[in-house]
Amino acid sequence: MLVLATLVTAVISGLRGELVRVEVDVAPGLPVCHIVGLPDTALSEARERVRGAIRNSGFEYPLSRITVNLAPADQRKRGAAYDLAIAVGVLVASGQIRTSGGAWALLGELSLGGAVRPVAGVLPMVATLARAGYERVAVPAGNVDEARLVAGVEVAGVDGLDDAARLVAGPRGRRAAQAERRPDLAVSGAGGSQRSTAVRTADSPAARGVPDLEASGDRVDLADIRGQANARWALEIALAGSHNLLLVGPPGAGKTLLARSIPGLLPPLDDDEALEVTVIESVAGRLMRSGLRRDRPFRAPHHTASYAALVGGGPQLAPGEVTRAHHGVLFMDELAEFDRDVLDALRQPLEDGTVELARARGSIRYPARLQLVAAMNPCRCGWHGDAQRACRCGDGEADRYVRRVSGPLLDRLDLRVEMPRVPPAELVGATPGESSGVVAERIAAARARALRRDGGRPNAHLAGAAVVAACRLQRSQEGLMRELATAAHMTARGVHRVLRVSRTIADLAGRDGVTDADLLAAAGLRDPAALPSLSA
Amino acid sequence: MVAAMTERDAWLALASASGVGETIFWGLVAAHGGAAEALRAVASGWKPRDDELRITRPTRAAIVSAFREPGTVARRVNELGLWTVTPLDTGFPVRLRDIDPPPATIFGWGDLAGLSAQRTVAVVGTRRPTLDGRTLAARIATRLVAADAVVVSGLAIGIDGAVHAATVGAGGRTVAVIGGGHAHPGPRAHRALSRDIVEGGGAIVSEHAPDTLPTRGTFPRRNRIISALGDTTIVVEAPGRSGALITARHALEQGRSVLAVPGRPGDPSVAGCLSLLRDTPARPLTGLDEMIVDLGYDTVVHASAAGGRLSLAAALALLGPVERAVAVRLARGPANADALITETGLAPPVVSGAITLLLLRGWIAAVGPAYLPAGPLLAADLR
Repeated sequence: MLVLATLVTAVISGLRGELVRVEVDVAPGLPVCHIVGLPDTALSEARERVRGAIRNSGFEYPLSRITVNLAPADQRKRGAAYDLAIAVGVLVASGQIRTSGGAWALLGELSLGGAVRPVAGVLPMVATLARAGYERVAVPAGNVDEARLVAGVEVAGVDGLDDAARLVAGPRGRRAAQAERRPDLAVSGAGGSQRSTAVRTADSPAARGVPDLEASGDRVDLADIRGQANARWALEIALAGSHNLLLVGPPGAGKTLLARSIPGLLPPLDDDEALEVTVIESVAGRLMRSGLRRDRPFRAPHHTASYAALVGGGPQLAPGEVTRAHHGVLFMDELAEFDRDVLDALRQPLEDGTVELARARGSIRYPARLQLVAAMNPCRCGWHGDAQRACRCGDGEADRYVRRVSGPLLDRLDLRVEMPRVPPAELVGATPGESSGVVAERIAAARARALRRDGGRPNAHLAGAAVVAACRLQRSQEGLMRELATAAHMTARGVHRVLRVSRTIADLAGRDGVTDADLLAAAGLRDPAALPSLSA
Repeated sequence: MVAAMTERDAWLALASASGVGETIFWGLVAAHGGAAEALRAVASGWKPRDDELRITRPTRAAIVSAFREPGTVARRVNELGLWTVTPLDTGFPVRLRDIDPPPATIFGWGDLAGLSAQRTVAVVGTRRPTLDGRTLAARIATRLVAADAVVVSGLAIGIDGAVHAATVGAGGRTVAVIGGGHAHPGPRAHRALSRDIVEGGGAIVSEHAPDTLPTRGTFPRRNRIISALGDTTIVVEAPGRSGALITARHALEQGRSVLAVPGRPGDPSVAGCLSLLRDTPARPLTGLDEMIVDLGYDTVVHASAAGGRLSLAAALALLGPVERAVAVRLARGPANADALITETGLAPPVVSGAITLLLLRGWIAAVGPAYLPAGPLLAADLR
């Protein structure tokens, strides 16, 4: 009888997987089970799940002293993804199955009935295992699709502990295992026969066709939006150049509607981006039964969401909305209503595309290269600057309302559009505008043009010198830019803002160089950091 | 120290002592025959027998310290680069003597002469105007500049700001009467405007000592100075409860004429104007030409007035076709970018570029999402 079994599994740390060895020792003594190696609560409870799963899968839970060691010991372990490895380890160590034919790495949470449940972060964990030289990985059947995204690994989806046991034992070991099964429990094992007993191999059809309700949502086509020609144009620029955009307007101007058309306008992710986004979704545990994410993320958290939900954190140091919007759009409706802490925390992602979560246990850096689209009312009552309706706020209150969104944050935005209320006549009568399809094509073309030019950077991420070079200004345009800058008291940041936006306007028009008209048009879009000009 | 105190220093010190309002100031001056005497008397324990002249303990303390340090105010005046003028001085604006009693001191930045110009008109209105009201206020101011009048207002947000800005923009002189001391010169949003007013030959004046905080009570009281400085007061847009109505009533009491812009009955933004027209001798402002006639400014044809109108046509011809289309539309009244796009039929980038150029040249101004005519566009005829 073998007394020590060693299996391999993995743990998530940030967005990376880390290899973990599970050593199970079954020794004579009082029947207890110890798990050592910095386990958290969910992991300490594994012993109960493992015992239930073993008993209900037709195996015997050894009445001995069981010690489970998770190595490396200094790595803090959390979650339930080790259940499967521990349970199989117990079976091997107690001699109920024999390993044969190469090592399988095991990932999965167990139910008391012996079923294997999907876990978060399978994609990066499998990738880590592959890098460490493990060629065969058993994952929960629900995680097969994402695990198969890793090349060069044989992935088996398992529905239950018995599947996994059969897999590990191989053709010879399985016979041994079956021989030792108790007949009465074999019935109970068959009782769980809703579970497929066949091992899902990598090429078995995945459960496709299940719509992802969260992703689909209500899509809005631009053709459904009346009026707002200026805001539509600004949105097109923003999406083509990845410029951060602020929509300001009274209630009912159509800010939210316009934002909801964004998913239909964004170009799909390229291969590298898709992999990063899929890893993030995997770690966030939102990748059940779907493969590579090709659609650009569009996240729209409510302003009451907690700091941890938005920025990331919590006991698991989970990625937040800013990370889940990586390579996509984060839409913040009612920007001024978000907590000050959240708005301040946005500065780092907007500046360098990452977010760092520092906690007592250590810090994690998540990617967060997001495009921010924000919407807000011009003042507390929402009617400041409306043509017909008077604003009920006091002197300077509109200023104060906008200032709730701090200057440094506004400085990171390239575009601000004031959206007026659409007159009722226009809502009913006007001919529909362009459809999302037409605009999306222009956006994709302009983006491709920008990416070809500047080493794969959208215009919004160009540094000062790079943007000047990209604009290819003629001498006369340099003069115009100087004139604009002097007259409007622009800072260097303001000049670069205008240049970046003009570069995107030229890209949309398919021009290599920026023209006078592009510069003037860019300058006509409001500077987000400028306060509402109510005094004139 | 005491011997060196001149009557004028004492006057400034007493008027600036905190708690000393016009009742106490003029009561003390009348009782003692002068400010220096009054200071000396209060400092040496004099108590008024007159029941109306009640001096509280903190006020008395302020007067005593003013007596001991009569130079404090003068020093502060120098620090802030202010001038002062009192009814003792020959340069005291005659119009202010129509206030009974006149303000004890006027502190100011800029050119005092504007307060005594031949033609002065006060233009006032609500702090929360409609875009049309704002535009009309600017048109009125522009026309007054063409008639060579100094435009007086209160530097508040809203109509006041539009009036001052349009006057400065048209190259005219304007006097702003603020509700506190010069250390707190009006709303933050008007800092740049304040500078422009002074640089344009106008003035920013107050009856309050430099460090007086503007309070709820000081604003209605400064309105009597606005109305007195203007030979006529024009109320552009005033809802039922508006400081502009107080200014209009002061004007009538001071024997000035009042013009009010009428409007549609039931429209809350003009309710105050309508009640002025119904309840007082105020006359309606029915057009800019009629306004000039009512003001009596039509007797001499001013070159600048004619030139202003000519220059609009000439200047429009200088614009490109796109800018001209946008300018012509905005000369008719305020519009936001969307309205400009729909009404001119031009593409958003083109309209955006035209807006930039017109803003640069000062032909239009931006308020929230809307653009308003400014500069030469204000000289365009209303009809």
